[in-house]
Amino acid sequence: MADRSDVVGTVAGPGDDPNEFVFVTPSDKSIKTGEFITYTVPVEDEPRSVFARVTNRELIRGLPEGFLADPEVGPETVAATLGVPTDDTELYRLTATVIGYYDTNMTTFANPRQLPDPGTPLSIAPHQQLETVLPNLGCETDSTDVTTLDGVAHIGWLLNRPAEATNLHIPIEEFASTHLAILASTGSGKSYTASVLIEEMMRPSSRASLLVFDPHGEYDTLAEMQGEEAFQGADGYEPSIEYYDPERLRVRISELEIGDVMAILDNPSNRMQERLSTAWRAMQRQESRTWGIDELIAEMERIYGDDDASVGALEWRLRRSIERNDLFHPEDNVPLGEIVDPGQCTVLQMDTLDRWDQQLITTVLLRRMYRERLDDVRDRDSDIEHPIFALFEEGHRFAPASGDAPSLGIMRTITSEGRKFGFGLGIISQRPSKIDQDVLSQCGTQISMQIQNPTDQDAIKNSVEAAGEDVLRELPGLTPGQAVVSGDAMNTPALIQVRRRHTEHGAGSRPVIEEWREAYEERQREPTGSEAADFGEGDSTGVQSLD
Amino acid sequence: MQRSTTRQQYGDEAMTDALADGDSPDLDSCVRIGSIVSSNSHLDYVAEVYKERDCDRPPELHEREFGQPVFIKKTVNGTEHAVMGVIYDTQLVDPDQGRTGPRLAQDDQAQFTPGYIEERTTLAGVALLGTAEIAEDGAIQEPTHQMPRWTLEVEDTVFHCPDQVTVSFHTVDDQIQLAYMDRLLDIAGDLGSEVIVALIDRLRGMLPEDDPNQRVLDVVEQNVQWQAREQRGMV
Repeated sequence: MADRSDVVGTVAGPGDDPNEFVFVTPSDKSIKTGEFITYTVPVEDEPRSVFARVTNRELIRGLPEGFLADPEVGPETVAATLGVPTDDTELYRLTATVIGYYDTNMTTFANPRQLPDPGTPLSIAPHQQLETVLPNLGCETDSTDVTTLDGVAHIGWLLNRPAEATNLHIPIEEFASTHLAILASTGSGKSYTASVLIEEMMRPSSRASLLVFDPHGEYDTLAEMQGEEAFQGADGYEPSIEYYDPERLRVRISELEIGDVMAILDNPSNRMQERLSTAWRAMQRQESRTWGIDELIAEMERIYGDDDASVGALEWRLRRSIERNDLFHPEDNVPLGEIVDPGQCTVLQMDTLDRWDQQLITTVLLRRMYRERLDDVRDRDSDIEHPIFALFEEGHRFAPASGDAPSLGIMRTITSEGRKFGFGLGIISQRPSKIDQDVLSQCGTQISMQIQNPTDQDAIKNSVEAAGEDVLRELPGLTPGQAVVSGDAMNTPALIQVRRRHTEHGAGSRPVIEEWREAYEERQREPTGSEAADFGEGDSTGVQSLD
Repeated sequence: MQRSTTRQQYGDEAMTDALADGDSPDLDSCVRIGSIVSSNSHLDYVAEVYKERDCDRPPELHEREFGQPVFIKKTVNGTEHAVMGVIYDTQLVDPDQGRTGPRLAQDDQAQFTPGYIEERTTLAGVALLGTAEIAEDGAIQEPTHQMPRWTLEVEDTVFHCPDQVTVSFHTVDDQIQLAYMDRLLDIAGDLGSEVIVALIDRLRGMLPEDDPNQRVLDVVEQNVQWQAREQRGMV
C-alpha cells in the first residue's frame, strides 16, 4: 500500500458474515456502495493486495433528524444556530465483503481467509489493478495494461468510477465458448450492449464469426462498422456485415424433422401422425435431399394407397402449412458457407416472419451448423471449420420455458455441449423467467441490466450461479446502460456502465409524439375527401371507411 | 442550586449599586436583579434577589422571571465585558420555616417575628451563557457563546438584560445563535428545555415576524421540546 494519503478509511472490526468487515470513513472520503477497496496482508510472507467490495454504507455520526423538521430551514442553519460544527462531522460505517487477493498462479481470486485487523488502512483499488483482476483475463501479474491484450472486449467502465476511468475488458473467448446471457427489461439497453459486444468481436484483433438472429430488425446499423477506421486491420481486414432479409431465408423441406412438421401442422390426428412419420422417415432415408411435398405425398400414397382418407387430409394440411409458405422450399437452403465466415457478422432479419417460421428457420439452421461443427471437431468434412457464435435477440422465443418451440431441443444441446464444438450462444431477453431454465443456467457469462419484475429476478437467482445476493440487489436500481457483469468471463461480478457504441443505435423507442404530429399534419394536407363525423344518427359509415 | 447561607454581606448591597455608577449609560441603567451569593460550579451561580431594603429600585416580579437573560459586568485586562447569563431556577428561603419555639404573637399584636422576617428571601439560579465586550457607547459587541473563562465574585451585581442586548448577544453574523445550548441544558437539568423555550420565546418576540431566523428558532424549539418529552417518557 502506498502512502497514507491514499487511505480512505480504517478497519473497525469484523462484520456479521465470515468474509465481511466493517470500516469507518469521514464524509469527505466519499465511498460508494459497490466500490472496490484494497488492503495489504502478508500471504506466505509476501504482501498481497486483498480486494473487497463495499456492500453497505450507514451514517454513524451526523446531524440529528430533528434538524430537518422544516424543509425551508436547512439542517446546517439549525446546526449553526446551536453552534454545532457542520464541517466533516459525518462519520460513515461501511461494510465490505472480502473478494480475495489475485493469485497469479491460479489467475483468479484467492480468499486469504483472514479479515483485516482493526486499524488496517484501506485505499481505493487502483484502476489498472482492477482492470487486470476483475475480468477473467488470466494475467500473470496483478497489474497489466489490458488494452494490449488480444481477444478482449471493452464493454464499459466501472459504474462507481468516473467515466472511462476503470475500463472493463472481458475475454471474448470465455463468453463465446461458454455462452452468454444478456438479461434486461425492455428499454434498459440489451440490444445496445449486444451491439457493443458485436463491435468488439468484429475488431481486427478478434475477427469473430457471428450470427445474429434478429426478430425485430434492430441490428441494421451495424453495417456502419464497415469503413470505420476503428475496425480496420493493418493487413486490410475489415468486418463484413451481411444482412439476410426474409426473402433470402429458406428452409429446405428435407431439413425438417418429423417433430417440426408435426408442430406446424394444424392439429393432426393420431392416424395422420402415424402416416406422416412413416412417410417422412422413408423420404429421409432416400439419397436425394431435394424432395418436396409432392414427393412426400406420393410416398404416402405408395405406402397407404391413393384413397386413404388420412393421407388426403394430410395433403391438404401439408400444402397449406408448408407448400404455401415461401420459407420452405424443396431445394433452396440458406448456404452455411455464406452466413458464417471469420470476420463476418450475419444478421438474420426475421421481422416479417411469424413466430413459428422464426423458430423453424432457427431450429433448422442451428441443427445444420451444430452438425457441421461436430463434423469439423471429429475431423470429418465440414462447411464450418471455425468456431461460431450465435446471438439471439428475444431469446425466450427460441428457448421458451413453456417448451413449445421446435428450437428448444437444439438450443439445449448447444448450450450444454456446444463448448466442446466451438459453438457459442448468446441469449438476449427481457423475460428471463420465460427462458428455459436449462438453457439459461448453461450461459456461463451474464450481463444483467435493470430488472424490476420479481419473477424475472427469481429466474436469474435460480439459474445464474454467479449472481450473488449483492448482485441481485442491484438489479432494480440500475438505470439504462448500466449492467452487472458476472460469470465465467469475470473473476468477480462488477457493476459497469456500458460504453458508447461506435455505430448508431437502431433499436431505440420511436419518437411517438413527433410521429403523431407528423401524421396529423400529413392528414391535414390531404384533400378533404373524408366524410363528416358521424354522431350516431342513422347507419354508421365509419366502420366501412376503416377497411 | 444550593441554599445560600452567606448572609453577612447582606447590608452592603447599596454600596455595590453606588459603585456601578459611571458605566456606559445603556447597560448601567439596567435594573439590578440581585447579587451573587454562591456558586455550584464554574457556570452555575446563585444570586439573591434584591428586595426593597437592598436597593432603590428592586426588580419587579416579571423582571426576574424564569428564563430572564441577565448580565454581570466584569473588567478584564482593562476591557469591560458583560458576562451573559439566564435565570434558570428560583428558590424561596425562609430560615424561620420549621423552627419550633414559642410563638410570640399575641392577640393585640398579630404579627411579632423580630429579626427573622427580613431574612426571607428569593434565590435565583443563574447559568452563564457567554460573554461580550461592552463598547464605548454602552452597546455590546463581539458576543461569544463559548464558555466564559472568568469567575464571578460573591456580591457581583446581576443586571436585568434588556431585550435589544439579548438580541445582539444572540446574533452572530446576522444569524441567530444559541451555541451554549448543550451547556445550558446540562446545568439547568430538569428545567433545561423550559429555560431554552423561554429564551426562544423571548427572542422570537423581539425579531420581526418575517425574519428567516424565526423558522430556525421553531425547529430548535421543537427539537428541544421533543427531546424533553422523550426523556420524560411522554412519547
